[in-house]
Amino acid sequence: MWPLIRGTLSGIVGYMVGALIATLTTTSTFSGEFALVLGFVFGLLGWLFGIGMWNAWGREWVGLTPKTEKAEGWRRYLRFNTDHKVIGAQYLVTMLIVFLLAGLVAMAMRAELASPGQNLFTADVYNKVMSMHGILMIAVAVAGILGAFGNYLVPLMIGADDMAFPRINALGYWMVPPVAIALLAAPLVGSFDAGWTAYPPLSVLNGDGQVLFNVAVIAFGLSSILGGLNIVATVITMRAPGMTWSKLPIFVWAAFAASILSLTVTQFFAASLIMILLDRIAGTTWFGAPGGGTALLYEHVFWFYSHPAVYIMVLPGMGVILEIISHFSRKPLFAYKAVVVSFLSIAGIGSVVWAHHMFTSGMAQNLEGPFMALTEAVSIPTGVIFLAAVGTLWRGKLWFQTPLLLAFFWIFQFLIGGITGVFLADFVTDLSLHDTYFVVAHFHYTIVGGSIFALMAGTFYWFPKVTGRMYNEKLGKIFATWFFVFFQLTFIPLFWVGLNGMNRRVATYQDNLGGVNRFASMMAMIMGLSFVLFVVNLLWSAKFGPVAPANPWNARTLEWQVSSPPPEHNFPSPPSVDGGPYDYGVVGAPTHLREVADPVG
Amino acid sequence: MKKDIVNATLLWIVLSILGWILVLNWNIFPPALAREARIVDDAFNLLTVLAVPVFTFVVAILIYAAFRFRSPGGLEDGPPIQDTGRILTAWLVVTIALAGGILINPGFVGMSEVRGEGGADVVIGVTGQRWSWTISYPNGVDVTSYTGELVLPVDQRIQFDITSLDPDVIHSFWIPAFRIKKDAVPGRITQMFITPTETGTFAEDPNVRVQCAELCGQGHAQMSMKVRVVEQAEFDAYLDEILAEGG
Amino acid sequence: MTTSAEPIQHGAGPSRQRRINQLGLWLFFASETFLFGAFISSRFITSQTSTPEDLNQALALALTIVLLLSSISAYLAETANAHDDHRGFRIYTVATITLGALFLGGVALEWKEALEYFPPGTIYGTAFFSLVGLHAFHVLTGLIALAVILFLGKEGRFGSKDSWPVEGVIKYWHFVDLAWVIIYPTLYLF
Ligand code: HEM
Ligand SMILES: [Cu+2]
Ligand SMILES: [Cu+2]
Repeated sequence: MWPLIRGTLSGIVGYMVGALIATLTTTSTFSGEFALVLGFVFGLLGWLFGIGMWNAWGREWVGLTPKTEKAEGWRRYLRFNTDHKVIGAQYLVTMLIVFLLAGLVAMAMRAELASPGQNLFTADVYNKVMSMHGILMIAVAVAGILGAFGNYLVPLMIGADDMAFPRINALGYWMVPPVAIALLAAPLVGSFDAGWTAYPPLSVLNGDGQVLFNVAVIAFGLSSILGGLNIVATVITMRAPGMTWSKLPIFVWAAFAASILSLTVTQFFAASLIMILLDRIAGTTWFGAPGGGTALLYEHVFWFYSHPAVYIMVLPGMGVILEIISHFSRKPLFAYKAVVVSFLSIAGIGSVVWAHHMFTSGMAQNLEGPFMALTEAVSIPTGVIFLAAVGTLWRGKLWFQTPLLLAFFWIFQFLIGGITGVFLADFVTDLSLHDTYFVVAHFHYTIVGGSIFALMAGTFYWFPKVTGRMYNEKLGKIFATWFFVFFQLTFIPLFWVGLNGMNRRVATYQDNLGGVNRFASMMAMIMGLSFVLFVVNLLWSAKFGPVAPANPWNARTLEWQVSSPPPEHNFPSPPSVDGGPYDYGVVGAPTHLREVADPVG
Repeated sequence: MKKDIVNATLLWIVLSILGWILVLNWNIFPPALAREARIVDDAFNLLTVLAVPVFTFVVAILIYAAFRFRSPGGLEDGPPIQDTGRILTAWLVVTIALAGGILINPGFVGMSEVRGEGGADVVIGVTGQRWSWTISYPNGVDVTSYTGELVLPVDQRIQFDITSLDPDVIHSFWIPAFRIKKDAVPGRITQMFITPTETGTFAEDPNVRVQCAELCGQGHAQMSMKVRVVEQAEFDAYLDEILAEGG
Repeated sequence: MTTSAEPIQHGAGPSRQRRINQLGLWLFFASETFLFGAFISSRFITSQTSTPEDLNQALALALTIVLLLSSISAYLAETANAHDDHRGFRIYTVATITLGALFLGGVALEWKEALEYFPPGTIYGTAFFSLVGLHAFHVLTGLIALAVILFLGKEGRFGSKDSWPVEGVIKYWHFVDLAWVIIYPTLYLF
């Protein structure tokens, strides 16, 4: 506990110092916008140093020897720990908590929307609640799979003892709690109400809470840049002997492609949010029409990140699902090389399609055709992912455990998300569908279907590895089915209300849509309840579940060849790689981890 | 193995036929009062019809696999089917053809249709501000959404010159019964052309309204205006009426 | 154990660690390039290539030269360190820091003038203050890093045996200079 207390205290001191500097050097008041910015920056630094960065790292910069603080058991998780497995677990738990919180917020929103008039919130409060739900969920989708499984599994799967930069890894994780706290604390200074997209001029003109949103999200972006950098460097430099690029497990490829995106385009999000801060605080006029700026600039810069961001969310999801499908069908992954090429081209083409979010924005007309064409081009590599999934299932020996069940659901939902995406990529239909509930339904199908379901599937799949215990299979299947069924019942109707004149981001709507919305709200509540099962299953099993063997799924990849949980430095002796990760049923195929003729112990 | 392929294909065909029956008979759109609304709905329907076999293909395999290929325990390995390249090529050919096809129609074809041709018969100014619309009629009279409604003549190509007050925030001018929308951006004038083809009022259907479609703050949901599409003669009379009131 | 013939992979050796560090630094540069790229392209989107008459071209040129000189002295510092010339390392690092500080001083002067002629509320001023500010912030971090290696290296701690910290910081300094070489024409010459 001590590092946490130390971090909190020095974070508070840092905040005070920053805010004080701002108050003394400018006209900002102590709770003014500039004080919030400097306070957050110094508070973040204070927190990081206090939590352990000073001891583990900062001391080197002034010529002292770094101190490592060892701890055992659960205390390992509450400090600046550079073990990638600890960091992966930290991300997983943090992101699941944020997810459940933002899910509760969503329930409140659906309660408001259960009838056309105003029920629970004023329009103003609804916008704030909606923005909170949006940004928290975006954070979960961006850092959930990559942060948790990317960190936990990439080194294990490629036969490394840790990430390339373990301290940067820990730094990246410990930046997350202050982000969450700043976002949740925003209501104290007026909240933010411009949605997660934070379009100016609204985000330049609204309350001070927007400033906290901006600094927090910039910090979060920095954390995901550092995380991406680490994964890219790790995959390039830390592969075990024999682990050639064509033997990389598909999840590693997915994490690699997504990390390249995190590393680069995230800077555009930071830039767009910095511009908003400059307009608010430094008096610049990037987006203010009176001074000659234009709001369309923001849309370009913002979507240059935020479209690729959907691939940051979903590529790792694809990796998890294909991984599970191959191991539970007990067949080689179909069209492995094509999948790899598809991941990379999804990342590549996905970076040049951003303006499909701007068909109604009034941007130059001659951009509209090319962006439609590029967007529809992404459907081709995406199609290959589906081919790989169904091609692997075909004539497999399917072992229907919870992970495979969730993978089936994933395919179904991501299929709906992908197909409805074509309707939004088409210029004509998008003019009608843009900013309606059709979009809301679509992106919940892609993000929840594509990222969250994969996060759940991965959580069950690797649960034995991480905790050393088995989860309860029956409860897992009930949860998965329950979540899936009520997810459809909640969101399918929302396509229809979108087509019938319901725009998004509203607390009240036309009376004729009341019935369908009430139905969706009821189904959403029941869906929300399914998470009781999820939480109970995991918590109970982590403590009392049957002890898991090293390889309960009889899978080939490296992480299953070490004990559950893995030893501190992952492999008892330096591993090397022989056969492919998915050579199920291939006669005479050598094992993936090279067999040691004379195993130790 | 032949049998599997035949059965799954049958399942695919059955599901596709059911799907087509469903989508060709459902009527999920609100009234379409404009030429542009028809174009949008046609594009939507075309995409839906093409989507059905894609969707059912994957779903058929999922269903078939879930029932036919079970093997509890995870001990038995499946046949090591490696991709021969033929299936992949076929798949790529089909998806590229599909993507290319919809890119042409409804993609570019729809795009040029919806933009339409020729100048406007009527030009109407639209200004958004938090949280109301101001309509500037060709006779120079302004009407706001607090008190008035948007009255439009049927069968005329109408040009909306849309902007937002400066300084204010982005709004979006959308009439669900006409389908299409365009953002109102401070400091810019954006244009949207619409040709109403049928008369109608808000009282008949709530989709005959202007609705702001870009988050603009607390009055966003309320930022709407009743629309009335009328015959040309009635439109002229309306213009005279507001001129008399305004003057 | 038969695997002992395999290359050692656990506990990366010094040269391997150095390669990893280098890769990490280049990835970081790639990322930063996007940040600068966002601002530079935004400048062209909002104000195309227009530049006001009142720009102090002489000062800007002088600053550019100062920064380029600092890159040379930084290079000399790095080579000196690699050849275990500790005195040379200290002298050139101090020279680099001085030039860098001079640059920042010049920027302050420039800002004072700019506030009068094209304040942040104008569209050129917006791009000018944002880009120069972003870059100056990077110069500042570079100076701090230089100061740290100067301080740590005062007893000849780095040298050829542990040259990575010096190399990394100096590479960063070059990167920041290079950024200016692109920002300078973006703001002054077009
Ligand atoms: C658990 C059930 C969920 C329900 C009932 C739900 C409901 C909603 C509702 C009603 C909105 C407002 C839509 C609008 O007006 O724009 C919304 C927005 C949003 N949701 Fe969810 N949601 C759920 C889960 C998720 C998840 C898991 C994610 C992502 C991981 C997510 C991401 C978002 C985002 C990004 C927005 C947009 C916010 C904005 O426009 O700024 N939601 N959700
Ligand atoms: Cu997009
Ligand atoms: Cu609005």
